[in-house]
Amino acid sequence: MLEIKNLHANIEDKKILKGLNLSIGKGEVHSIMGPNGSGKSTLASILAGKEDYEITDGDILFNGESILEMSPEERAQEGIFLAFQYPIEIPGVSNSYFLREALNSIRKSKGEDPLKPVEFIKLAKEKIKHLKMDESLLNRSLNEGFSGGEKKRNEILQMSILNPCMSILDETDSGLDIDALQIVANGVNAHKDANRSFLVITHYQRLLNYIVPDFVHVLVGGVIVKSGDKSLALELESKGYSWLEN
Amino acid sequence: MKDFESNLSNQHESFLSFENKSQYLNIFRKKSFDNFRKQGLPSLLDEDWRFTDLSNFYRNEYKHLDSSDIEFDKNIVPKHIKSLDAHFIYVQDGKLIESPESELFEINDLSVFLEELSEDKLDFFLNSHSEKNVDFTYELNSAFIKDGIHLEIKKNTILDKPIILINFYSSDLSHISTRNIIEVGALSEGQIIEYSFSKPDINFFLNKATSFYLSDSSNIEHLSVDESSKNSYIFSNIKINQNKNSNFTTDSILIGGRIYRNNVHPALKGEGANSNILGLYMSTNNQHMDNYMFVEHEQPNCGSRQLYKGLLKDESKGVFHGRILVHNAAQKTDAKQTNRNLLLSDKAQVDTKPQLEIYADDVKCTHGATTGQLDPEALYYLRARGIEFEKAKLIMIRSFTEELLEFIKSDFILNLHKKTVENWFIESNLAEME
Ligand SMILES: Nc1ncnc2c1ncn2[C@@H]1O[C@H](COP(=O)(O)OP(=O)(O)OP(=O)(O)O)[C@@H](O)[C@H]1O
Ligand SMILES: [Mg+2]
Repeated sequence: MLEIKNLHANIEDKKILKGLNLSIGKGEVHSIMGPNGSGKSTLASILAGKEDYEITDGDILFNGESILEMSPEERAQEGIFLAFQYPIEIPGVSNSYFLREALNSIRKSKGEDPLKPVEFIKLAKEKIKHLKMDESLLNRSLNEGFSGGEKKRNEILQMSILNPCMSILDETDSGLDIDALQIVANGVNAHKDANRSFLVITHYQRLLNYIVPDFVHVLVGGVIVKSGDKSLALELESKGYSWLEN
Repeated sequence: MKDFESNLSNQHESFLSFENKSQYLNIFRKKSFDNFRKQGLPSLLDEDWRFTDLSNFYRNEYKHLDSSDIEFDKNIVPKHIKSLDAHFIYVQDGKLIESPESELFEINDLSVFLEELSEDKLDFFLNSHSEKNVDFTYELNSAFIKDGIHLEIKKNTILDKPIILINFYSSDLSHISTRNIIEVGALSEGQIIEYSFSKPDINFFLNKATSFYLSDSSNIEHLSVDESSKNSYIFSNIKINQNKNSNFTTDSILIGGRIYRNNVHPALKGEGANSNILGLYMSTNNQHMDNYMFVEHEQPNCGSRQLYKGLLKDESKGVFHGRILVHNAAQKTDAKQTNRNLLLSDKAQVDTKPQLEIYADDVKCTHGATTGQLDPEALYYLRARGIEFEKAKLIMIRSFTEELLEFIKSDFILNLHKKTVENWFIESNLAEME
């Protein structure tokens, strides 16, 4: 589904990714762990199409085609979704209006009819219930004044409504209390099927008890230094990263 | 500039030679013209005009329009206005063409109204306290006072429908001067809309003034939309005299004009009066929109909220000058001023200047101004969810303008405000036609 080949990326002439290779198959769950500043969010942003980065070498293939020239909205329409580490607050734009616009843009790109407001509200209410979120969050300005946990859940709400096939979760577990973590994990698991893939960026093994990865990768200094199965996460939890750093 | 001024003198002389019905009025007109001459036309050296360069305006040779013989064709009024359920007043080039009859209000041609007034009453309307501190535009407007309307909403009246004053300007290189006097009786309520437009692309000099006189406990919402030609020069004065416990909201949407000077001057003259002063200036190309607010608190326990927002495209320019004057009697004043600007291009520019003069000690007075561009992080977030770039921008721009809506109570004005803004988005290539 997603193939990252020898990816080199800079921001403002600073080298962040230095030859990253990663291949994610259909229905697979991959996890990336790694120290602060190692380039995890950078990779996530590049996958989502953020334009601040310079790709100096390598390629990203999605369903066999390079996406490097695609805009963020085209990637989203193709089914790539990034749950942000730091969701943006947008005052004056209501959460439900935003979600409906997003969903209808994606539907339009597939040649489907837009959902009417009533149909959309029905769908949104069903999903929001599943994530045990307060319905009033739909009418509030997008992320404005949301608590840390509410923002993260709102990202997962967006994922479950937009229905992507490649979801990248950037530290969706940080800032969540223990109950919320389980609810969010349930939301993700409900979305899991043979055609949907996940890239889960996290610092904590705990999340991976709920969202069980097929592969765990360690990103250090802009390259993947080690890959393994879920037991690697446990090993990292006890040993830290220093043993991998050279 | 010299030529422009002497041209105005000639216009005024010939204007006066035809106006001889009222001695009082002619003395007033002469005095006003003398005041104008004493002040002279402003230049960039003038403190109140330092951001607005009128030198191109002075190069034009306008003719004062004394009559309009073109017949008014209602079909030219835009459909979204024409189709509203309201009382319509039609004015062309300042001349009252048609007005509705109602038990609730009375409408007169301004000159007819003024000629029948006693000197005391004339003095009240033309020389009342808040008429002080005027700039040349208002003095000139007084010097040429004749065209326009008088509207009186009787006391204890709740308007059954909003009143819409349609102003159409038809004549290239004309100098049009109009004054509307609007009186609202005690305890009365309603909505008043002024909608102005012109023949496309004409260059004319519009000097318009609307003065409100609000009696005790009256409650009025006012919307002014000007979509005149973008080659015109528009000088507008909105003056509001508020008595005890009156509530007034004025919302100005500036769209037309090569240069648009928008003077708004609410005077809170009775205890417990409240004023919301809203505005949205939306400019493209080389338009220049200059907003000069003067909020005057004269009595205790009054409140004022100014919220002016600028949306500037291309190489257009905006000015916001927010002056608040709190007299020493005006204890417990609660005055707030906010100016926000969204620049849609690197070449657009805004100058903002607050000016607070406070002579009472127990007051709450705040002001704040921001100018910025669309937040790229927010745009990226919307796009990362599949929303097209242009649509994402439109969502952000629309939400920027919508803050104003929170202050508007009547759905009628709210909807017309929204429709006007949406039309501008389409016209300015920010949105596609539905
Ligand atoms: N705009 C920028 N200018 C300069 N350096 C930047 C910029 N954005 C990111 N970086 C740098 O890129 C490096 C990688 O950042 P990134 O956010 O990808 O790390 P991360 O692995 O997600 O870290 P964390 O675990 O703390 O979230 C960091 O050193 C960061 O300071
Ligand atoms: Mg990160």
